[in-house]
Amino acid sequence: MVILKLSNVSKSFGDVHALDSVSFDVSDGEFIFITGPSGSGKSTLVKIILKQINPDSGEIIVLDKDLSELKPKDIPLIRQKIGTVFQDFKMIAERTLKENIEVVLAVAKVPQSEWESRVKHVAKLVGLEKRLDFFPNQLAGGEIQRGALARALVINPTLILADEPTGNLDWETAEGIMELFEEINKEGKTIIMATHHMGIVEKHKKRVIGMKEGKIISDSGAKKHEKKETSKEKDKEKEKEAGEEDMSGK
Amino acid sequence: MNIHIKTALNNVRRSPFQALSAVFILMVTFFVTTILVVFIYASHQVLTYYETRPQIIAFLKDDSKSEQIDALKSKLEGDSRIKSITYITKEQALEIYKNATKDNPLLSELVSPSVFPASLEFSVRDLSYAEPVISEIKNESIVDEIGYTASLGGEESLTDVVSRLRKIAFYVRIAGGLFIGFLMATSLVLMVVIISMKMSFRKREMEILDLVGATSSFIRKPVFLEALLYAFIGVVVGWFASFLLILYLAPPLMRYFQDIPILPSNALNLLVLFFVILASEMVIGLALSLSGTVIAVSRARKRK
Repeated sequence: MVILKLSNVSKSFGDVHALDSVSFDVSDGEFIFITGPSGSGKSTLVKIILKQINPDSGEIIVLDKDLSELKPKDIPLIRQKIGTVFQDFKMIAERTLKENIEVVLAVAKVPQSEWESRVKHVAKLVGLEKRLDFFPNQLAGGEIQRGALARALVINPTLILADEPTGNLDWETAEGIMELFEEINKEGKTIIMATHHMGIVEKHKKRVIGMKEGKIISDSGAKKHEKKETSKEKDKEKEKEAGEEDMSGK
Repeated sequence: MNIHIKTALNNVRRSPFQALSAVFILMVTFFVTTILVVFIYASHQVLTYYETRPQIIAFLKDDSKSEQIDALKSKLEGDSRIKSITYITKEQALEIYKNATKDNPLLSELVSPSVFPASLEFSVRDLSYAEPVISEIKNESIVDEIGYTASLGGEESLTDVVSRLRKIAFYVRIAGGLFIGFLMATSLVLMVVIISMKMSFRKREMEILDLVGATSSFIRKPVFLEALLYAFIGVVVGWFASFLLILYLAPPLMRYFQDIPILPSNALNLLVLFFVILASEMVIGLALSLSGTVIAVSRARKRK
């Protein structure tokens, strides 16, 4: 099942082509890295998927919804189904970690009786069960990011979108966060992660979409998608090879 | 506790001086409004008192027969403009005179009932009816002379009394209305400013909520609740302060105005009056704060 499908998506800001005919699709349960240097279009892509901005052309289908046909009042509904993790955490400074997580449950109209158990569950998952009453400024960077991940997970989203989630973290903390993402992915969640942290990308062997100047220059998983229909085992081997080729090409 | 109420209360705690200024301006507005409304009520009561008080006295000729008097009385009773008709005989007139001069009994001893003419005393339902009624009654054959008891500030004619009272009541209403309007407009502008400031302080929070899928109404609910809270507190405190002040001033004022019921004389009616004012002010206050919030929110959206 395709969770996300982009077809010839373009976006310009004046003379700058932030995205230029970007096409790819993401299947249910996949873990994808979108990599590229600053200004390659990663963040624009994330913003377009979240419908923070609209593309100039192209088609985007997220969770079976064509974003171009989405009415403004329906935008929150699609965002409620996507768990988002940001580089700058985007935690509400005036609320405790628990309240930051609860607000997402309130947004998704989850009955208040379920909040306590859900918050505890995700807090335990990210190892912050003892930090729930702390305000973001009382937490370390890695803890805030784990808190942000807990907030993204609490609504049990189908798709998790992470925009440079390790960008502000040291290597060790970033690895801890990545392990969490790995665990979450194993549980069947689809993860799209924009990152320029090549060390992480190389360590975690996942599908990698490379971007440069708004264009996709490589997609380690493209061949896998094309040949899926012939043989699954053959595909996997070829996928590895293609992935290795792409990585060495950079 | 509901998350929106919790957020609204947190927002109040986060910027207490803005909250206080919002409450203060609404409090002052509704404190002054309550006093002005009571003042307008009192002026209306004074006007009504004078409008209904004037007793027109038709002094009857000495040779008037009782059938003629009864006929005139019946005619006046049938007139919708006239109320409370009383026939005063010569003897009753003497009694009234005696009562009026009881401090000096010598004056009443020197007069006999024959000195006083019998009369028909009555009031008009509206003072504007007085002059045409007088003109009509003057033409009655048994009526000797017409007199009236209403006078204010030395006016000579009933028209002066009417016009002066009406003018006073009119100016009180206009000036009061304008002043209340001015206060309301000031409150509205200040509410817009305060809510706008609060929204710009919460801009990042609102952006985050928007990104996690909060609907516009979810984001704005705490803003509206906060404004409603200001209005509620402002109205209640302003009203209560003026209520206490008026309760304190009422006894000397009522003594000064004596027979004129500037305020309801019994406690229940006074409470009813004040609760009607509170209910009206609550509606206006809530509408005012909601309007202020709507303007502030739409301005924020335009800026976005």
